[in-house]
Amino acid sequence: MSQPMLSLKSEASSGETPKATPHLLPCRVHHTGSVEPVQSFWEPKVNEDGTPTAYFRGRKLLGKTAKLPEGYRGVVAVTCAAEEPSGLPEEGGVIDLEAETPQGSLQVQAEFDEMVVWAHEAAVDASADPYLRGAEEWLALAEKIHSYPSPAPEEK
Amino acid sequence: MAKTRSKGGSGTAAADKKSATTPKTSPSSSVYTLPAECDNRPKLFILPKSATSSARIVTLQHPRYNKPTRYLVCPEAGFFEFTSISPPKSAPRSWLIQKTGTGTAADTQITQSPALHLATPYDPLFLLLPALLCSGTNNTDQQQQQQPKKKRMFLSLDDHVDALPDLPSSHLSQLLRTCDGTRRRLEARLETVCDMVAAGDEAMYRVNETKLLRAVLEKAKKVVGDGKLPGSMEERFVRRELEAPVLGVRVGSRAVVAAVVVDDAEAADISSSGSGGTPASAGEESQESASSSVETAATSVVADEDVASAMTASEEVVKLQRLRVAFNFICSSYVAPAIAEMLKQELAKATLINFKPLDEYLERLAKLRQEAAAARTTDFSRKRAVDDEEEDERAEKRRKKEAEEKAKKTNVSRGVKNLMKVNTSGMKKMSDFFKKK
Repeated sequence: MSQPMLSLKSEASSGETPKATPHLLPCRVHHTGSVEPVQSFWEPKVNEDGTPTAYFRGRKLLGKTAKLPEGYRGVVAVTCAAEEPSGLPEEGGVIDLEAETPQGSLQVQAEFDEMVVWAHEAAVDASADPYLRGAEEWLALAEKIHSYPSPAPEEK
Repeated sequence: MAKTRSKGGSGTAAADKKSATTPKTSPSSSVYTLPAECDNRPKLFILPKSATSSARIVTLQHPRYNKPTRYLVCPEAGFFEFTSISPPKSAPRSWLIQKTGTGTAADTQITQSPALHLATPYDPLFLLLPALLCSGTNNTDQQQQQQPKKKRMFLSLDDHVDALPDLPSSHLSQLLRTCDGTRRRLEARLETVCDMVAAGDEAMYRVNETKLLRAVLEKAKKVVGDGKLPGSMEERFVRRELEAPVLGVRVGSRAVVAAVVVDDAEAADISSSGSGGTPASAGEESQESASSSVETAATSVVADEDVASAMTASEEVVKLQRLRVAFNFICSSYVAPAIAEMLKQELAKATLINFKPLDEYLERLAKLRQEAAAARTTDFSRKRAVDDEEEDERAEKRRKKEAEEKAKKTNVSRGVKNLMKVNTSGMKKMSDFFKKK
């Protein structure tokens, strides 16, 4: 099955997208979906020394806040196989030409600019955690590998 | 509500009273009910801010693995590849997404899948490489034998794209048709690695290996820059690769040291300055390496002045190693094996960069490692006499063990202690009660 071509869409067409904070829990939760009301079991606090602390089902978790690098934004999104052929005027040409390519969209539900990585009892080791390393090292490295002079702006 | 019938009216009355004050449900059901799972799972992305609303997520053929891979293509910002981070099964993770903004949309979600998708900048040149070079490498053997040096044709961008290994739905050609910015971007990338002729108002391209090599090497150089590779890469591929084995051997075997006599001056530098590497590269070495060299330097001082603790790589060698690591990384991640092989051969032939100091160093290092390994295996006879330190270590370990045992003994309760003296073989274990019957 071929994957659809996706476009980015903001869910709330009016106003800005809501902000969110993703917490990476050090456990697997066998549920996907809403878990409201959340206050009774998830109430992260910030310690005196600045580390976020939370108690999740009786276990002490310490968090590490990771800011996203400059120029990037985090997005919580769901994929929709939307079938709205004439959604945007400039897209009309695309669909006419390649009717067989499915068009979908990525509905942006929320945005974030930092995430918190939690670990049991101790804060995670930035050099070992794949998330922190990915966010910091890989983005920087990829930028270096793939940087190239962009086409001359006057051509545009 | 009422659990037992025998309690009767008074019990329910009490329960009623309670429920009047606090809304309490029976203990078997939870206070909250979990909403049904949503079937459309939210995913977490990290996207470039520069991507505009006309950006599309498309499926293109991965140039190395020949698999359909997701890319984000924006006419303004360019190409981005997706990298998914998901931890190993041994480290279970899940996302809890807490919406902070306005109270109306305060809805907290759990996402079981811990994946995080990173969109990082991507040079579309890599996407085109298979097409550019496939006419030379993708042929069947027979054809290659017939025309060992088949001339590559000058082709337009569209023809090159058509030559790409086909996907059921090629998003790239569609992008080219609809999006001028993307087309210009690809053409600009082609210009850097190709010879060009103009046919009418259409530009035709033919790949030039030397230009391509230069472009890839340029990338590798940029990765190295004037600093180091990212932390984990530096540690694993540069520091460990160049690290010499520690020669904790007394210099009765002076011959071994003679092999590294060139580096003796540097070794002396270590013991005097006590920091990693040559003084010039001290700042460049990672903190960890510095501390470990201090350690080795210390041991060498203790053992004998003449012991060379390690062979130290000069700054030039370290730089070359970094460059090679970066080059190989690019080749192994984005370039098909055949093309990577070609590029490596070209690099070896070309005079762009001289890897000779590095190769010489690595050769000496391999020899040294071999000797060290040999020394280690033959050295058992005098190990005991030599290693005062090891003795200390062993004593320390013994002491620790004793202390541990003592602690274990004192922690045991009297009941258990008494039970130790009894023959318990006929008794039931506690775990018996929890077995399935």
